[in-house]
Amino acid sequence: MIEFTLNDQPVSADVDPNTPLLWVVRDHFKLKGSKFGCGAGLCGACTMHLDGAAIKTCITPVASVEGKSVTTIEGLGTPDNLHPLQAAWHEHAVPQCGYCQSGQIMAAAALLESNPNPSGADIDAAMSGNICRCGCYPRIKRAIQSVSESALAYDAMATAGGQA
Amino acid sequence: MNTVNVSRRRFLQTSAITGGGLVVGFAITGCSSTPAPLPVDDAQGAWTPNAFLQVLPDNTIRFYTARSEMGQGVTTGLATLVGEELDVNPLDMDIRLAGVHEDYANPDFGMQGTGGSSSIHAHYLQLRQVGANTRALILEAAAQDLGVASSALATDNGFVIHGASRYPYAQFINTAQTLNIEADAPLKPAAEFQFIGKETRRVDAIAKSTGTAEFGLDIDVPGMHYAVVVRPPVVRAKALSVDASAAKLMPGVTDVLEVGSGVAVVAESFWQAQQAAKKVAVEWQSGPLDRVSTETLRADYAKALDAGDGVEGPNDGDVSTALSGAATLHEAEYWAPLLSHSPMEPMNAVVRIDGDSADVWTGIQFPSAVPGLVSRVADIPAENVRFHQCYLGGGFGRRGTPTHLVEATQIAVATGKPIQLVWTREDDIQQGPFRPASLMRIKAGVDESGNLIAWDATRAGGDISPDTFRSLLPALYSWMGDSMIEGVANISEWYFENFAADESSTEGLFEDYDHPNTRVTHMTVDHELPLTFWRSVGHSYTAFAKESMIDELAHAAGLNEIEFRLQNTRNNPRLNNVIRVAGEHMANMDVPAGHYLGFAAHHSFRTDVAEIAEVSVERGKIRVHKVTCVLDCGQAVNPDIVRAQMEGGVVYGLTAALYGGLNLENGAIKESNFHDYPMLRMDESPEIEVVIIDSGTKPTGVGEPGLPPIAPAIANAVFKATGQRLRDLPLKLA
Repeated sequence: MIEFTLNDQPVSADVDPNTPLLWVVRDHFKLKGSKFGCGAGLCGACTMHLDGAAIKTCITPVASVEGKSVTTIEGLGTPDNLHPLQAAWHEHAVPQCGYCQSGQIMAAAALLESNPNPSGADIDAAMSGNICRCGCYPRIKRAIQSVSESALAYDAMATAGGQA
Repeated sequence: MNTVNVSRRRFLQTSAITGGGLVVGFAITGCSSTPAPLPVDDAQGAWTPNAFLQVLPDNTIRFYTARSEMGQGVTTGLATLVGEELDVNPLDMDIRLAGVHEDYANPDFGMQGTGGSSSIHAHYLQLRQVGANTRALILEAAAQDLGVASSALATDNGFVIHGASRYPYAQFINTAQTLNIEADAPLKPAAEFQFIGKETRRVDAIAKSTGTAEFGLDIDVPGMHYAVVVRPPVVRAKALSVDASAAKLMPGVTDVLEVGSGVAVVAESFWQAQQAAKKVAVEWQSGPLDRVSTETLRADYAKALDAGDGVEGPNDGDVSTALSGAATLHEAEYWAPLLSHSPMEPMNAVVRIDGDSADVWTGIQFPSAVPGLVSRVADIPAENVRFHQCYLGGGFGRRGTPTHLVEATQIAVATGKPIQLVWTREDDIQQGPFRPASLMRIKAGVDESGNLIAWDATRAGGDISPDTFRSLLPALYSWMGDSMIEGVANISEWYFENFAADESSTEGLFEDYDHPNTRVTHMTVDHELPLTFWRSVGHSYTAFAKESMIDELAHAAGLNEIEFRLQNTRNNPRLNNVIRVAGEHMANMDVPAGHYLGFAAHHSFRTDVAEIAEVSVERGKIRVHKVTCVLDCGQAVNPDIVRAQMEGGVVYGLTAALYGGLNLENGAIKESNFHDYPMLRMDESPEIEVVIIDSGTKPTGVGEPGLPPIAPAIANAVFKATGQRLRDLPLKLA
């Protein structure tokens, strides 16, 4: 029996400890937002947070998350309560087919958590583990930049200035 | 031009009868003797005026999207068309992915299929008419219910307006469903558009940013078991002997069985099935493909081109004489490799059989194929097959081939369990169907005034139509036996080899420029590899050859690359204008030292696109910094999605141009996953600027046309940067 925290809820699963976290979350806990893309940690479609850091869950044995905290796209925000990145994804019309976007957003959220003001090169470095075949990269980058601390501060200043 | 092309597209156009009611969207099923019920959702008290719309009592406006959403934004586009005339904001609609019904046919194909960048073009007037007629009925019902003249009423985003009063459309649906429409309602003039051509968001962006959009892989039904298939290293090889004893002992495994394409392993979880599949020992039959490698493929194509006895395409004027009199004569050979589509969502399908009926969940480009295929494999009536369309995690042509659906049905029948079949990434890359490899030679001549006077183009490689017949005929024509289908496919192969080129084998190789003397020759060389359409189909390789050759000719003749193109595209005025506008952009660009601009232009899927690639070569590596894309696609229904599709076409084409290439060794694909079949990633993704020329004509394709010009634009820039003319894809510096 493996016990961990999934989207702030304590959970336990009686599964082969070698089972990748991705499949435990998808098939055991029925959270289908995280995707299977390559099964080899090469594309990032399966990205979740483990204690706040972005990890590739298709190659992470569930035993290794024992006692730790896992966050999936479902735990980041919902259609009625969007995370700022999810709102930016809508605003910038980022998704095309959409299949990779849960992983992209989780990677971006982990980046902004550790680096609220990333440079273009920082974004490239943090996001290059995530493949998008539809070619949404320019929009992903714009969406991340739009919710960086400096962009939000600029927006706040502009709003305050507009009201003054 | 004296040959007849039997093309994939024309086959699709003539293989079924389009619905033909007089009043668009209302009497579409009227010609059918027993119209099938619409596969729409039951909703208490809802009004379903046609296959596309439902108005619910709470004033929810539900829109059924008939085309497959694979990222190209068609759902938003089609909702925009119907919403424009219905007067409902597409972002406020409740969007459903349509099941199978003849009313959902693609007007361009006569069947329910999505491809060929056709959807917006094909549905542009139809869905607007559906919206206009529905609105007219609501207005008429409102006039009756309110006791006023309909001319005194207006509408606003799902509400009927009378003076200062607003009434939801739903208030009038009881009366509306008693009314008939006699003639099509007038459509809005373009000047009154409030959604078409405006900057609006995508209807699916929130679902796709919150993990709530449902893809085929996300389907989970009670009792569902998971299946993977152990597949041969050489595609289509059959199993000679199977030892599954070790696999059957693995945890969770319930069934191991042979299916036509390999050995299926069924387990309680995907992971268990995948682990057990590794324990299956199979001896595979050998076949002629075992002796084929990438080198033999190319050598066989070269041999065919040397022999030159292919089928003639267009043959106008006197090419030989014109070439011998040319002031500048140039000849070159271009290579494009086999490619995998590699959509991010691997192939998958859920099939649940219950007595003589079935439920099927998958994301597919040809829903029309589903009932027939499942009926054939499961031996149940096609009308008892309920298809549940899902979002497609990328299509690119790959989701037109329904092999995975056949496999899932076979396994569901054999095991009696609801089955989710999943291809692994390795299956996806190694099993095809593939973008065909191509060897192309072009010989061309220019006179002393810079006029292109002769164009002698040849291509050798496989054709995609025979495999298209193999995969779609069994689905579309239930009365055809397997041997008859194979016979038709074989006859088509013979026909393409001996009488006329398969359209997709030479499309794009010769149409864009004015050359009075033209000869196109095609040599089919068939290694029995599974082949299919891949984003932009034949244009994905012919544009590389054609636009590289045009650039080479301009340099050889000492002419400016833009001027040369302008001078020789006068018979294609829209392409000519796109080249002119793109040329002006290029002339005004600030180019950093060490960066070079390459240009290419191409017409495909009714759309004209020119691209300028800003490239540098650093330590032997090609780096693309910026791409400017200029296009004319007629009326841009959603300009931001047009931009997104150009960005997507450029990035997909960049991966192919810089990395793409599957290699065969003893008949087996050597590459297996993204470590050895790399994809462009964010750190290499260029800035992309899209310039839409608003010509206001009927919309034309955008899903594919952004791709063809990118590879030659980069190659042409690399030539300026290094003097090296790269004629093989992927582009590699010497």
